[in-house]
Amino acid sequence: MLSEILIIVIRGIAIGSIFATIAMSFNIVHGATNIFNFAQGNMFILGGFAAYFLANGAGIGMWAMMLIVAGLAIAALVSFQGYITLLPLRSSVEQDSWLISTVSVSVIVGAILMITQGPFAYSVQSIAPSFRIFGTRTPGAYGLAIFAMIFWYVALRLFLKHTYSGLAISALSQDFDAARAAGLPVRRLQLLAFAISGLMVGSVGFLVAPVISVSPDAGLKYVLNGFVAAVVGGIGSNIGTLIGGPLVGVVAMLTAYKVGGAYQDVASLLVLVSILVFRPQGIFGRVTARRV
Amino acid sequence: MTAASNTYPNAQQGETAKKARFNSDLTQVKIGLVLILLTGIGPVLAGNEYWIHTFQLVNIYIAASIFQNFLFIDAGQKSFGQGAILGLSAYGTAILFGLHGVPFVLAALGGIAAAALGGLLFALPALRVQGFHLGFVTMSAAIVFPQLLVTLDRWTNGINGISVRIPALMTPIAFGISPLALLVTIFPMLALIVHYLIRRSRLGRNMFVSSLSPEAARSLGIKPGLMRFAAFLIAAIGTGICGVLYLPVVAFVSPQGFNIELSFVFFFAVVVGGRGQMLGPIIGVAIIYVLPNVLLAQFVEYRLLMYGCLTMGAVMLFPDGIVGSIERLRSKKNHGGTGERAFRIDGFLAQLAGTGTAKEPTEEIAVEVRNGTKRFGAVVAVDGVNLKVRKGEIHGLIGANGSGKTSLLNVLTGLSRLNDGSFYINGVDTTDYPADKIANMQLGRTFQAPRIFSQMSLWDNLRLGLDARNGKGSDAIDALARAMETEFGHDRADLLSHGQRRLVEVMRTVLKESTIVLFDEPAAGLSKSERNNFADLVRFLSRQLGKTVILVEHDLDLVWGIADRITVLDQGRVVSSGNPEAVAKDAAVQHMFVGARHA
Repeated sequence: MLSEILIIVIRGIAIGSIFATIAMSFNIVHGATNIFNFAQGNMFILGGFAAYFLANGAGIGMWAMMLIVAGLAIAALVSFQGYITLLPLRSSVEQDSWLISTVSVSVIVGAILMITQGPFAYSVQSIAPSFRIFGTRTPGAYGLAIFAMIFWYVALRLFLKHTYSGLAISALSQDFDAARAAGLPVRRLQLLAFAISGLMVGSVGFLVAPVISVSPDAGLKYVLNGFVAAVVGGIGSNIGTLIGGPLVGVVAMLTAYKVGGAYQDVASLLVLVSILVFRPQGIFGRVTARRV
Repeated sequence: MTAASNTYPNAQQGETAKKARFNSDLTQVKIGLVLILLTGIGPVLAGNEYWIHTFQLVNIYIAASIFQNFLFIDAGQKSFGQGAILGLSAYGTAILFGLHGVPFVLAALGGIAAAALGGLLFALPALRVQGFHLGFVTMSAAIVFPQLLVTLDRWTNGINGISVRIPALMTPIAFGISPLALLVTIFPMLALIVHYLIRRSRLGRNMFVSSLSPEAARSLGIKPGLMRFAAFLIAAIGTGICGVLYLPVVAFVSPQGFNIELSFVFFFAVVVGGRGQMLGPIIGVAIIYVLPNVLLAQFVEYRLLMYGCLTMGAVMLFPDGIVGSIERLRSKKNHGGTGERAFRIDGFLAQLAGTGTAKEPTEEIAVEVRNGTKRFGAVVAVDGVNLKVRKGEIHGLIGANGSGKTSLLNVLTGLSRLNDGSFYINGVDTTDYPADKIANMQLGRTFQAPRIFSQMSLWDNLRLGLDARNGKGSDAIDALARAMETEFGHDRADLLSHGQRRLVEVMRTVLKESTIVLFDEPAAGLSKSERNNFADLVRFLSRQLGKTVILVEHDLDLVWGIADRITVLDQGRVVSSGNPEAVAKDAAVQHMFVGARHA
């Protein structure tokens, strides 16, 4: 019984680290642009499809190469999306347009996948061998998911603190107008943020394809859980996502175990609403003073 | 009084040419009603069963999109989950009527109640968060809803759905028109009219202001949270009625019918048609729903792709939507600025002249702060301030940038809370009062960055003050309001200069008939003559109408010209306070005056 719970917790943490990586990919774009990319979940699923089509059953060398190809391709796609999302914002004072355009890109990507691949879930063979925890076989991709979360956390931290572009993106998130006035190439940095977020979700989607449902309608589930993870951790806080993601994952797995698999999304929704009602700034978020 | 000798320039100018309408809402409503009538009755007269069925559904979607438009723009609530609200009501009715044999009317009421409950659930997180947060919450609700319908099969029949037949609604009563056809024609028309009437009402304006500037709303005595609740409730009931009508039209409900796609249809229809335009949802549904499902029916599997691409295309090519772009062209053609003449207050003053009686400040205390301290983290913005403002006086509040003047105003209007100390308005301890309650004690304020809304006509911007009046107002202000309505009813507020916008806010507090007014740097950006007019107005407010005026201002000449008492703040502390002559001689403030002109 206890070991069952432990296994569930470990799987929950693994699934949750996928949510955490998606949450971090939200954060970097949000910091640079104040945009929340609703299409991020479908971009993640594209990574899963890339694994299915490019590297299913391939050897480790081919697999690694295709991982890079898929990550870069999705990074390019997301930065293109970022480019068209930012276009109307240049002139218009209406700030809702990104909300609409990212939702419609999400719908478009989902629809294209549905038309070309049908409403099926594709299974992808795992490259990493499964391992034993408490006597139970655990798919290797769960390990990859946790690894990816830690890798991206460290990589983002190094990038944001120690490179010129990273510091500039941090500056954008702290004071957009001052950063612009200081002569930063705002649009280029924003596109870079979009590209990094695409690289993150694309590569993680590729890595964890064996343990997720690679199907055209799965994207929404991941965009929502990623968002819940970001909110729980506090929007903008990457260290928060390390807690928020696994927390959401464990809640989802426990719900599936105790109540039923159909209630996983309901549980995430409840977590989201309770955080927003009781602590809207999240665990690690700061309350910022508003100017009147 | 100098202003009394002036003529009323605004009135003269207004009589020369009839202005174009500020917006075409009314025209759009008329066109919309005709279109809905056509899609409702046209197919019946043509006698084609397929078209009848399709356009009944189209009309229901139009009504739901109208409520989405209201919720999204008029109330500023980004809901992606209106499809689930419709589903709640359709399912509620189907379960009661179809599975439990409850009479249809009662079942329908139950369905609408379920939808209303859903709307209130959406409103709950909206009390705390706005914007994309709310979008995500409502979107997850819309994703979860069909899942729950499947899982809770004990009550919902699961994926098998529920079939219903309501023959009484289908039997034609005259000209082959069934009660159902009549209902699905009349309801969207009603929805459109209701939307128009709400927008023209005080409630509608209050909702709009609450969404655009919650702090301005609160300083006008409005509770933004209550407005959000009301908006979600109205939209949910309207969308709930759509759900009830959905049932006889489709004769079947199943979880797949209410997935996220349905919510997207309503949302996208509003965007493509034109956000906030009365006609928008009707044109939007025609493009988003009718085009892919009816005219391109052979490509039905590309439906979602078309929704997405059409919306994306609209955002890129017509950011204001189809109707919005046409409206923008019309409005651009018809409006030009009129420079300094666009908004002058000497005319108002001339009209008000003679309505007051000569008054002097009394010894009663209108506003008192005792030992007030306000901290932001380590920064002490207001530091142990003691302040007394007498009834009817003009009290100047001066000091360098960052000395705590605006922080003090925000405390006095309830927008931020004191950490220590207390303050009293007319003797009442208001330290813990919320902003709207303080505003309703006949207190009015202006903001440094004026809260002027370009989406409203100039008159509607002013009218917010009239809306916020407590109790019955005076005849003089009513007369002034009527003159303003004729004058500015179709003027645009975004053509005003920054200084004029401040004056609009000042006049808003005058229309509010606040007995205590707080002006935050009202004279910045005013021309010399506008400044003189403003000084006359403040004097009139104090000496004729007996209002208490607290004036935060950097223009020291202006302050010394009109203030009865002056308080000087420096780094959050009161360094000097008293009548202007005494303050000017105070050694503690000498350094503030370059060249010590006033000494």
